Amino acid sequence: MNVRLRRIANRGFTGASVLSVVLLTAALLIILGPMLFKGTTAVFFHGTVEFRKVQLHEFSRGDPAALAKEIAATEKAREPIYRLLDEFRRGIDTGRLEGEARHVYRELGKQLKHRKGVGPEERIRIRRFFRGLRNTLIDAYECTDKDEARALLKEVLSHAQDERLAGTVGERLFRMARDYQELLETFDLGKREEYAAALDEVQQAVRNLFGPEAGKSKVGMPPEDRFGAHRMDMVRRYADDLLYAETWVEVEKGRPLVKKRIPREEQFAGTTLEPLFGLFRDNVDAMFRPRFTVYWQYFLDDAVPGHYFGGVGEEILGTLTVTALAIAFAFPLGVISAAYLVEVAGDNVVVRFIRMSINTLAGVPSIVFGLFGLVFFVMLIQALSGGAHKGECVLACALTVAVLVLPVIIRASEEAIRAVPNSYKEAALALGASRLRCFVTVQLPAALPGILTGVILSLSRAAGETAPFLFVGAAATTDPLWEYAAWDWPWQQVQMLSYGAYDVAMNDRIAGMVPHQQWGMVMTLIGLVLILNILAILVRSRVSRKLRGG
Amino acid sequence: MSQSPEDSDRRAAAASAGFDRPLLLTPREDLLGYVGSLTGRAGLFLIAASSVLAVFLIFVFIAREAFLFFIQGETPAEIAEFLWNRVCEVFGSTAWYPEQDPAEYGMLALIAGSFYVTFGSVLVAVPLGLLTAVCLSDIFPFTLRQVAKPVVELLAAIPSVAYGFFAVMLVKPWLQETFGIPSGANVLNASLILAVMAVPTIVSVSEDALTAVGRPLREASYALGATRAETMVRVVIPAAHNGIIAAVILGMMRAVGETMVVWMAAGNAKQIPHPWWDLTESVRTMTATIAQEGMDTARDSMHFHSLFTIGLILLVFTFVLNTLSEFLLGRMKFRGAKP
Repeated sequence: MNVRLRRIANRGFTGASVLSVVLLTAALLIILGPMLFKGTTAVFFHGTVEFRKVQLHEFSRGDPAALAKEIAATEKAREPIYRLLDEFRRGIDTGRLEGEARHVYRELGKQLKHRKGVGPEERIRIRRFFRGLRNTLIDAYECTDKDEARALLKEVLSHAQDERLAGTVGERLFRMARDYQELLETFDLGKREEYAAALDEVQQAVRNLFGPEAGKSKVGMPPEDRFGAHRMDMVRRYADDLLYAETWVEVEKGRPLVKKRIPREEQFAGTTLEPLFGLFRDNVDAMFRPRFTVYWQYFLDDAVPGHYFGGVGEEILGTLTVTALAIAFAFPLGVISAAYLVEVAGDNVVVRFIRMSINTLAGVPSIVFGLFGLVFFVMLIQALSGGAHKGECVLACALTVAVLVLPVIIRASEEAIRAVPNSYKEAALALGASRLRCFVTVQLPAALPGILTGVILSLSRAAGETAPFLFVGAAATTDPLWEYAAWDWPWQQVQMLSYGAYDVAMNDRIAGMVPHQQWGMVMTLIGLVLILNILAILVRSRVSRKLRGG
Repeated sequence: MSQSPEDSDRRAAAASAGFDRPLLLTPREDLLGYVGSLTGRAGLFLIAASSVLAVFLIFVFIAREAFLFFIQGETPAEIAEFLWNRVCEVFGSTAWYPEQDPAEYGMLALIAGSFYVTFGSVLVAVPLGLLTAVCLSDIFPFTLRQVAKPVVELLAAIPSVAYGFFAVMLVKPWLQETFGIPSGANVLNASLILAVMAVPTIVSVSEDALTAVGRPLREASYALGATRAETMVRVVIPAAHNGIIAAVILGMMRAVGETMVVWMAAGNAKQIPHPWWDLTESVRTMTATIAQEGMDTARDSMHFHSLFTIGLILLVFTFVLNTLSEFLLGRMKFRGAKP
């Protein structure tokens, strides 16, 4: 019995251990999988005609003639949608109708002034009479009861034959009344408010789908309004807004409200707008012309503020610049420190103190590096440049993160130098080489692959850090580094993948509308870090094979 | 003995190659070389001391800014009173309103926030990490270990902002929709992610400790008829306890010092969860406070100095933990060296 219990306990222990490894593997897959997979949608997707417009207008890419043809075709397909909307809006938007009626009245006044054969008194009389008509029409517009509205319209139209108004602008008023009379028969006046709210949603959805109406100026618009839905997943999302109304309904008392989707066809049943939705559904392809697109320039392009479209080229360049610069600072320091610790120093109090400092440095929280960079490097650059530079810049970022990766490089180099067999050194010294010569020509080359592994790993560490950059020069939107003159770039704020990934996830309202940009950014960051790590693993496995004598 | 011409030629060649020099010179004979090697050593030492300089500068500059937060006033009595009031306020109040007038700098809620997420993550990460280390050191065969190690290394390599992104974009809605938690950005979310981040540290350090225990102890235990579980739990793990405690401390340090994940996923609410065991409440940690408020605080304002005070607390805390872990690891090495 006791033996059985012990065996079960043993099995359980083994099982739990294996399970924890499986859990970790699962965690890795769960974390990496969605980010890498969803991130690829930033590069591979079905692009619509709007995407090609973006490419042509913002990046001067593509064939203008072919695109113009395509645009003409899509505009033809979109035209009925706009027409239906406009027609329906006329009945809903009483404010606009009233404005039009008032406008007609004013026009008539002007026209009467220049009309010959009409005396001032007569003029006043006509105007007063016309004002009455106008007010009746406005009443009819505002009226929510169908019969009453009909009666009011009839009253207006009964004066249609009035010869005083014949041949004047005034006749337009009767035309408007007649239009409205026709319109009245198509929908329920009591629901006008409801229709107006729903119509706003529909119009917004159409606006999001198609972009600004053809022929309208785009100057001064924020980038996200300049073009319509440029990818099919965006089309699908906005089409959902267009085709379905979402309402929150109370199913049970005291329970949270439940979301309910109503097809817009039901919402607008019986009105002139009803056919729009079927029309849209049947003509999506004609209106957008989707085509499978590989947007490899995503990794090169500059993005508009908010990353509504464009790529992450600027962030990649910023990250690479800062990390490369940081390694350039930290590498010599790190390798020489390691050489000293391994080759020269004995085991005394001073050396132990140095080692303790290295370990302490490795344990300092990254945000504290940020604070330090702010009060040391940023202030230093400010002071040295006499206030000419702001201090928060590429250089400050690089210096701060150089301090951060210094212990990583030292430890890796130390290990690599230690791993070189002692016989190498002894042979070189026996041949009469000096210590320095022996180190530079024999030990260092032998340790170089190991040191390289450490450098690659610290590159990946530096590229992934965010907190140290927060106060020393990371920015959500700046000009790309390549736009600065020769030696201006080290003094500029910089966009980086890591800070960018934070910003698009937390701060950026516009980026929240384009999830593929959020995932794309984080995918690029992880991709960069993973490539560096895999490289390091490969280098290390080659080294260990070599040292084993393979 | 007369010298043959070839002999003298050979000697001349040897002299020109420098082989006739004695192997060891006294400093007096080779003054230049002696001074050169000394300066070389000194130069190397100075470069190697750059990390000491870096640590020194970090402490000095953070402390200098934090200093102004505590020391205000003219006379010693004034200074002492101000200092006492400040310390009482910082460690005695949960009201953190640095931009209000009058400003309040109670850091208790922030410290509690850091404590909550750290403790939560350690609770998950320690069993997971320890069992994984056992698996890697004693259970898995070589080939499986070659597969499992990169998994742990990749977990360590993923940038913290990517973890935060994952927490915000996937874990947060998942917690909200599946469990009906009002806000998915809470202690639970941040702790889970931090646990995954701390595991690689715990695994690598404690695996080293377990391996360092060596075969003889294990074989002795097996020879007495113990199962593997008994050997590990009763013999190997107790023998490696210094290293394992160091591993836990290092994992804790990773969690305490982490910024991006807690900033993004812990909910940013300056409060102590109520009731205290409710892990679905949002908190805000010390690191997140620095990150949140450091960017748009006027330099040289009291608020700015207060952030450096938080930084100093973090720095001292991690320093103490680090020294402790080093002490433990040193003891482990000392023991391991003995047969």
